[in-house]
Amino acid sequence: MNVTRRQFLRTTGFGVAAVGALGGCAPALKGDFAPKTGKRVVVIGGGWGGATAAKYVRLGDPSIEVILLEPNKEFISCPFSNLVLSGIRTLDSMTFNYGRLRGHGVRIIHEAAGSIEPAAKRVRLGEGWLQYDKLIVSPGVEFQYEQVQGLREAGDRVLHAWKAGPQTVALANQLQSMQDGGVVVMSVPPVAYRCPPGPYERASQIAWYLKTKKPRSKLIVLDANPNVVSKTALFRKAWEAYPNLEFRGSNKVVKVDPGARTVTTELGDTVKYDVVNVIPPQRAGTIAVDADLVGADKRWCEVNHVTYESVKHKDIHVIGDSTIGLPVPKSGNVANAMGKISAAVVVAMLNGRPVPQMPPGNTCYSWVSDKEAIAVVNVYRIDNGKVVQIEQKLTPAQSPAVAANSLGWAQSIWNDVIG
Amino acid sequence: MTMLTLVFLLLLLAAPDAAAGPLDHPGYAKAFSCSACHGFAGNSRSATMPILAGMNTAYLKKALQDYASGMRPSPEMEPYSKMAIHLGVDDVAGYFAAQTKQPTPIAADAAAVARGRTASQVCVACHGPAGKGDPAKNVPDLTGQPAAYLAHQIQLFKADRRSPGDPALKQLKEVMKAVPDNQIADLAAYYSSLR
Repeated sequence: MNVTRRQFLRTTGFGVAAVGALGGCAPALKGDFAPKTGKRVVVIGGGWGGATAAKYVRLGDPSIEVILLEPNKEFISCPFSNLVLSGIRTLDSMTFNYGRLRGHGVRIIHEAAGSIEPAAKRVRLGEGWLQYDKLIVSPGVEFQYEQVQGLREAGDRVLHAWKAGPQTVALANQLQSMQDGGVVVMSVPPVAYRCPPGPYERASQIAWYLKTKKPRSKLIVLDANPNVVSKTALFRKAWEAYPNLEFRGSNKVVKVDPGARTVTTELGDTVKYDVVNVIPPQRAGTIAVDADLVGADKRWCEVNHVTYESVKHKDIHVIGDSTIGLPVPKSGNVANAMGKISAAVVVAMLNGRPVPQMPPGNTCYSWVSDKEAIAVVNVYRIDNGKVVQIEQKLTPAQSPAVAANSLGWAQSIWNDVIG
Repeated sequence: MTMLTLVFLLLLLAAPDAAAGPLDHPGYAKAFSCSACHGFAGNSRSATMPILAGMNTAYLKKALQDYASGMRPSPEMEPYSKMAIHLGVDDVAGYFAAQTKQPTPIAADAAAVARGRTASQVCVACHGPAGKGDPAKNVPDLTGQPAAYLAHQIQLFKADRRSPGDPALKQLKEVMKAVPDNQIADLAAYYSSLR
């Protein structure tokens, strides 16, 4: 992209304003701490959806000020993080800073948004607030710890590792420290949850690791769903190489006891473990629930399929895993697509132009060993204002070629999100 | 910062933005799905995904149509090509053709490039001495594409797994079959290095 001298100076000007408003520490965030001068989009959440949206608003119209609120200083990719558990990749290889997003002129404030005030069109932050013309909310998922007895109290003794980060590394360390002959138990929550094939990729990676490094050990997968949720036949085929993997469908975990090292299923079975990984049931990120963006189920946010505007609050667009109603999986690729589409919609709306009618697409790779992967692709169209699927296509079999494609995908999409 | 500089900056901030934005191109938003793999504006930075920026419109349209029909097999590209055709293949291909190609940032091995230059005589008849191809004959520009992508395509041609049975590729595949396996990476490195 060619950056004009005017755009460059304008971006620098924003930088000067940011120093003025945010140069101090927390008490500076009082009142309207960054008064709005032109059109402004505030983005909550710098993950796959939010980081993409912030960047693409700036790419679509550099005259719009974009402020991204994200408490984490680094972006860590959930896709590929299962490969950290098997020791095939490091977490560092999928960790990025937000520097290049700043290069696009996005102002980033590393603080969590406090709350949303839809009527006043502002976001609370510390003791102050930020006005917006358009708000894009991409809060990801929050865990429903209360659905599994003993889980909240267990703290770090029972890991989810379902948001890539320190827990991913801790779970990998637990697997490495386990004696050969040990039992690993992992639980899969009921749909809907982040990344439908993710738990089965994880099971494949743990089974591969145990088979290779601790051959007398086994993995028991306790799935709340009756069968493998995604790429079912391909995972089942891959698991023929893993006699150490025992899959138990319709086995919802309802209790964990880290003292006795047991989990209990809804059926009343108690399963003993040496290492446990409980992936808890999920709902939209807390700020979306608190801001009344969720539906009657109090879990997920219903949105317009074309604009991603909340059906409950005007000028608030919700994207990514926290949405419901579109026939799309909760995947990083879909969040990235929603980020681009919502950005184009917001740019069009703020400029009084026709709103593009763009469907998302989904590509999802899963590694089933140290060398081979499988994939599913879903494409969509918009029909009478609703997203409908055109086609779903699976790779015919697992292969190193699909794994090679997945590496190209990762390199490109990480760049699309945060580069 | 002097007061004068500050005033200057404030004046610039207040100036209206007259330039047309990317939304003005009918293919801009229609190509959103593509950037996840092919990079923003089709400028892939990955080792295995081809650069679409600046690609000849007719060549890209044929590729999308062949993927969509299943003639050129790819589980990933078949559905996305159907989506591109549904959205308007002329807009999508036209958008990428209008973008400026930025050659792959992945540097090719100098020794492989030198060996590839020597071996490239078989390619010149169609792709030209500079590797730029011939739009009139739908022969693609190979320059600056990622080497791993080019090498993979040569392998597919050799094994007749790219568009099996396509009469337009019959002669090319015969030429590729004569390329020894140990020359594939060299040829790919050479064309990737050209600008």
